[in-house]
Amino acid sequence: MLAGTIWQRELVEFAQRRRALIIKLAFPLVVGIPLVFVAPPYYAALSLTMLIAIIGTLGAGAVLTRERQSGLTLRYRTLPVTPGRLLIERLSTSASIDLLQVTPVLVLIAVRHPSQFAWWPALLLCTTSVLLLGNLLGAVASTVSDSPGEVMLYVFIPLLILLYLSGVFTPLSQPVLLVVSRLLPFSYLHESLLGALGGQPNLLPWETLLGGFGFLVGAAGVTGRLGRRITESD
Amino acid sequence: MRVDTASEPSLLAATGLTRSYRGGKGVFDITLNLAAGEVLGLMGPNGSGKSTLVRVLATAAAPTAGRVSWFGKSNPRLPSIRHRLGVMLDQAAHFDKMTGYQNAWFFARQFGLSSEVARDRLDELFRWSGLLEARDQLVGEYSLGMKRKLNLVEALVHRPSILLLDEPTLALDYRAELDLIERLQLLSLTGTAVLLATNDVHLAERICDRVIFLHRGRAIREGQVPELLTELAGSKEVQLQVNSPIALEALRSLPAVEAANVDGDTVHIVLARGANPAQVLAVLNGTADLVSNMRVRRPNLGDLFLKLTGEALPVAR
Repeated sequence: MLAGTIWQRELVEFAQRRRALIIKLAFPLVVGIPLVFVAPPYYAALSLTMLIAIIGTLGAGAVLTRERQSGLTLRYRTLPVTPGRLLIERLSTSASIDLLQVTPVLVLIAVRHPSQFAWWPALLLCTTSVLLLGNLLGAVASTVSDSPGEVMLYVFIPLLILLYLSGVFTPLSQPVLLVVSRLLPFSYLHESLLGALGGQPNLLPWETLLGGFGFLVGAAGVTGRLGRRITESD
Repeated sequence: MRVDTASEPSLLAATGLTRSYRGGKGVFDITLNLAAGEVLGLMGPNGSGKSTLVRVLATAAAPTAGRVSWFGKSNPRLPSIRHRLGVMLDQAAHFDKMTGYQNAWFFARQFGLSSEVARDRLDELFRWSGLLEARDQLVGEYSLGMKRKLNLVEALVHRPSILLLDEPTLALDYRAELDLIERLQLLSLTGTAVLLATNDVHLAERICDRVIFLHRGRAIREGQVPELLTELAGSKEVQLQVNSPIALEALRSLPAVEAANVDGDTVHIVLARGANPAQVLAVLNGTADLVSNMRVRRPNLGDLFLKLTGEALPVAR
């Protein structure tokens, strides 16, 4: 298989790493089966929100840090491609691969709770936006350190705070925190998961859909804007 | 064949170029021009700033001060500039989980080649580089020399107007080095401008029209290669292999000695025009048992660098 574009190259490399491919596709399913079939909706939604957020952030952070160390980042910089386009193409492909990875879990949810079909579009859109934003967070963190271990740390600390502020761990009662949670993409993913799993979300499907769409567009825009800063940082 | 480039318009021009890093490293106040068909050598020891300069000129790093223009344009992010640059950086970075051919194909297509053209050119370049049999092997399994050859293939495939090569002969076997020299000479004859960062004195003398010496990030000397070598005409380089340290200062104080430096167990001494190597041995009188071997040879660009800075260029091979 030959790849002539950046996104094709990402896909070819992903497809050629057979063992990694199997593990990547299997582990969300292994985690997802007991959560979708056995766990109460609230805990399942909490765990799956965390799982999706982590899948999004860790992959991009680790890959970009490794590329910076190996000198590949410098080679990317000499390609006749603008930094914004380069980053959008790379992160959107990476997010698409992540989406492929969590798709079996989303299918399981649909199979287990077919009556909640109204939530499916919102769930898909919110998952995509969180994966893209997660990739962006990982990409930003990769500019802070040359060590993949350190980058993981720089990803996890803000991620846990953001998940808390999104009301994923505990229901938020204070009005200020509620407003803050609505400014974060994880809250919409959490709501859509709760809805799709038959729980009791605070938002309607269309509200969640709108939130997910807004964050997806925002993530694409911010990725383009941060292209130069991320790809050209030393 | 040497090309007279003095009156040629510059494809690449840098004025007061500075790229500094924390800790005082980098390159400072570099001014250079590169004309079509010219081969310019950047020479200097490790840490002198050659790779940093190549990175800036290759648009992989931004200058912190000064101005660079490529084909008369100064925005390094313009795809129209990058399309015409062929770059080989110091790190042989590739996608290790892809084959050599997949890597080269990706870069060829990124530089706008159609599938047909990419296939034809890659076939020729893989044959030329000796990588044909290893083209379907994962790059992660390549030796350093093979990776460097693949870098060359990728830098050449889109037939750039400017070639920027950082240590292109590093880890190459002698046959590959000769092939590269031949190819670069041919390219320069057809108008490709080549900038070569190297420590390989013989390579520089053989193909460079002009050389810039870099020392601690600054250009300390620039000139046509024959001109620079003329400065050393009549002088000699004496290489002494010693068993234990010798009094370098005593040697340096001799009027016959223009420069002296120690590299491992070898003492490099540049003798002034007409000086007799016996004068050096006279200073070492009584310590002759320290000298296990002595060689006298015609001086080269490395000796000029030694004379200018007191530091030796690393041995390229």
